[in-house]
Amino acid sequence: MGSVTLTNIRKSYGAVEVLHGIDLDIADGEFTVLVGPSGCGKSTLLRSIAGLETISDGEISLDGEIINKRQPKERDIAMVFQNYALYPHMTVAKNMAFSLRLAKEAQSEIDRKVKDAAEILDLVPLLDRYPRQLSGGQRQRVAMGRAIVRDPKVFLFDEPLSNLDAKLRVQMRAEIKELHQRLKTTTIYVTHDQIEAMTMADKIVVMRGGHVEQIGSPLELYDRPASVFVAGFIGSPAMNFLPGSAKGGAIQTPNGDVIQGLPDGIAEGRAVIAGVRPEDLRLADQGIAARVVVIEPTGAETQLMLRTADTDITLTTRDRVSVAPGDTVHLQIEPGKLHCFDAETEMSLRTDDT
Amino acid sequence: MNETPRTFYWIGLSIIGLVIALYILFPIFWLFLASFKTQSELAQLPISFWPESATLDAYKALFSPTHQKGQLLDWPRLIGNSFFVAISSTILVVFFGTLAGYAFARLHFPGRDLILGGLLVSRMFQGAALLLPTYRLMTTLGLQDSTIGLVLLYSAFGLPFATWIIASSLREIPRELEESAMMDGASRLQSMAMVVLPLATPALITAAMWHFVGAWSEFAFASILLESNENKTVTIGLASFVELFTLEFQFVGAAATIVALPIMLVFFFGQRYFTRGLLAGAVKG
Repeated sequence: MGSVTLTNIRKSYGAVEVLHGIDLDIADGEFTVLVGPSGCGKSTLLRSIAGLETISDGEISLDGEIINKRQPKERDIAMVFQNYALYPHMTVAKNMAFSLRLAKEAQSEIDRKVKDAAEILDLVPLLDRYPRQLSGGQRQRVAMGRAIVRDPKVFLFDEPLSNLDAKLRVQMRAEIKELHQRLKTTTIYVTHDQIEAMTMADKIVVMRGGHVEQIGSPLELYDRPASVFVAGFIGSPAMNFLPGSAKGGAIQTPNGDVIQGLPDGIAEGRAVIAGVRPEDLRLADQGIAARVVVIEPTGAETQLMLRTADTDITLTTRDRVSVAPGDTVHLQIEPGKLHCFDAETEMSLRTDDT
Repeated sequence: MNETPRTFYWIGLSIIGLVIALYILFPIFWLFLASFKTQSELAQLPISFWPESATLDAYKALFSPTHQKGQLLDWPRLIGNSFFVAISSTILVVFFGTLAGYAFARLHFPGRDLILGGLLVSRMFQGAALLLPTYRLMTTLGLQDSTIGLVLLYSAFGLPFATWIIASSLREIPRELEESAMMDGASRLQSMAMVVLPLATPALITAAMWHFVGAWSEFAFASILLESNENKTVTIGLASFVELFTLEFQFVGAAATIVALPIMLVFFFGQRYFTRGLLAGAVKG
């Protein structure tokens, strides 16, 4: 078991508060990703759960027991660090056995657990090597091995893939996810990479400036972002934003384009931001006028970088398009795919949100 | 790439290095040779370079009481005293230097960087300026003419620099390693003993070597504090040859060779740590 509940977590360094009251429920076995730009407090939150930071206020509980006063070693939580933090003077086997040795387990038991973990992670041929003799991906696996031999209630990962090259990152991403599906241990994973968050998480927690911006499954966040920030952060290429104002049940941009699909009940003249994902735009005979700046074919799809009188827009299409830079095109939004945000609060104006 | 100027460059450098080494080492080598000569050979002209008939008489004399003729000090005793003083104070310095260095490297407390800087400044005082106050202090404490007193004094002098070396090296060790150990179930002390200190070994050895050599060779404070013959150290023993009625140079050579031996051994076994420890953090690797 390993359900984690955070209640009103606050953390200050001196007079500066970096976490402003975080509430979060993580169910047993859930893979939760904390994501946000650097400085949003995600790592601090993770380290608070680990016990490496003391919180200024609030409660952290694990399976109903309050653990925020406990030492890291008393929390039954394992952590994988960004730089792996392997002990350089110990072999892979000794690194993995370290926690079991401290727990004074029998040597036969230690050997068995290390061997099991090494088999799961494909580390058996490397057990007698030192960390400096391993590649980045192998070190990463040893760091995970060190965590799983303990069979803890919760795994914490602090940006574990950011030191790897792009190809290895994709591979390790799948390995971590597979490991989670196999062990079903509650996992809290910190990253600034929204693709990692989208691909790995059962639940994503988007953080910004020490607040939780939105919590939801990857597709919930993608389909129903609660704010301009989440809408722009999740998804690549990012959502397009067109500022305008409510007029006659539609949104009118400063240069006169009219965008249909404004939710009901928005006061006439209210400043709003229209948001539309690049794949929800299509080329049409009429609609928003834009000039083609750059065309980026990637094979499966093509991205068009466009410029209207007000702003830049990205369009993604799976069709083969016959336009050239400098051409003027017209854009339509797929019905029902418009996101509307209040220009002042930057919060979603979606009416079906509860 | 033109090879010839490079070759000349290296040959030139090597010759300069050889000359400097010869210049520094020759007096020591001369003393070493003298230790195998006889009194009469040392007195004769022209001076002979190699001993005509090498003899260990000078060494035997230093170590056998029957040869001491009432003039030589008790050299086995002097050597024992020096080892006692140097080893004890090295242990104290490394032990407390490690604890203090850890605190400076890892804990946050007001004035930390100021104090750490102050440690270095304390190294810059001229020893001579401290001779008199130290003498007063030690006599007031009743620690004059005592090897224990010397151990405490050397430890106090050695601690700042050792702390500084160890703190700089501990700062190089990623904090995550300790955090990881703590997550793995270690207490702070356990993580220090099992993870941090093994990685800091070069710095600990450097600090120990540095201090041992300093304590072993220290003369000024030992000479003003130690009075009775049974408490004296090797450096005082060496100086005492000057006071003998006859300068028997072969004894000086033998004694100097014996005194140099521990230092040479320390460097022989520790030099690879020594350079690593002093250069820790100089190059990011």
